[in-house]
Amino acid sequence: MNDSAQWIVLLGFLVSLSLFFLALLINQSTLVGQTTAEGVLEFPKNDIRDTRDAIISIVSEGGDPDSLCDDIRKISLERKNTIVNCTISGKTVVIHYNNGVTLYEETVHV
Amino acid sequence: MVNDSGQLYTIEGLAAGLIMIATAYIVLGSTIVYTPGDTHIADMQLETLGNDALRMMDTPQNLSQATGKSSPLTTILTKTTSGSSDEVSFDGTTFHDKFSFYCNATAVQQNDDNIQFYANVTYRNTSGGLGQYFINSSRNMTGREHAVRVTKWVKVDEQENWDRPQFVLVEVLLWRA
Repeated sequence: MNDSAQWIVLLGFLVSLSLFFLALLINQSTLVGQTTAEGVLEFPKNDIRDTRDAIISIVSEGGDPDSLCDDIRKISLERKNTIVNCTISGKTVVIHYNNGVTLYEETVHV
Repeated sequence: MVNDSGQLYTIEGLAAGLIMIATAYIVLGSTIVYTPGDTHIADMQLETLGNDALRMMDTPQNLSQATGKSSPLTTILTKTTSGSSDEVSFDGTTFHDKFSFYCNATAVQQNDDNIQFYANVTYRNTSGGLGQYFINSSRNMTGREHAVRVTKWVKVDEQENWDRPQFVLVEVLLWRA
């Protein structure tokens, strides 16, 4: 049996294996980008911040709390399919937010 | 007796075949993932950009705006005194200019990008129901755009058909064209 040049064959085998793992890395990297972007898109960070800002400004800037809360509640339900509820008693605000995926509750003293 | 020369070649051939099949499998699989993954990333960036632009427009630009609790966006949505008294009047031109400017400026130069928008506002009418007005758009929509939506709550004190200060929802569709 001719056993010369075994090192060369072995090295070729190693190179092909490393190529295989590189391909695996590329395959997984696209998946990581997709799931990250999906996570960002699905989590309503700006939505919650904006709603929270608006509700808190009712107390800090004045105005009729009942009708202003009602605006946010009705428009949220119609345009964003999101259940928003706010209860304002004095300087205490209770915010409830639920868009079917993310639930957010907060009690804040302004 | 069986001839046992060339066994290493046989093993190498088998291994190479397996690796090629595995690689082909991975490559075919990754092309299926590639397209939706890419669009999600672009959508995310567009949504972030739009939210930032709206937030910038709803930030007071000077001391008098800050003390008056107004912003460029509330000024755009508030009834202009010069308009006819029984019509809803938005400053759609200013909205167009500012929003397009914020969205399409890159680090290198202004109007460098080609992002289009379509904006409207949802409000409560005098009977408590919902109504919607068109603000402005940079282009007519055909329905084939791959658009994302960004929204912003704005408190507007005075506008025709709105009988009290109220929160309205500005909705903007953004897409690249």
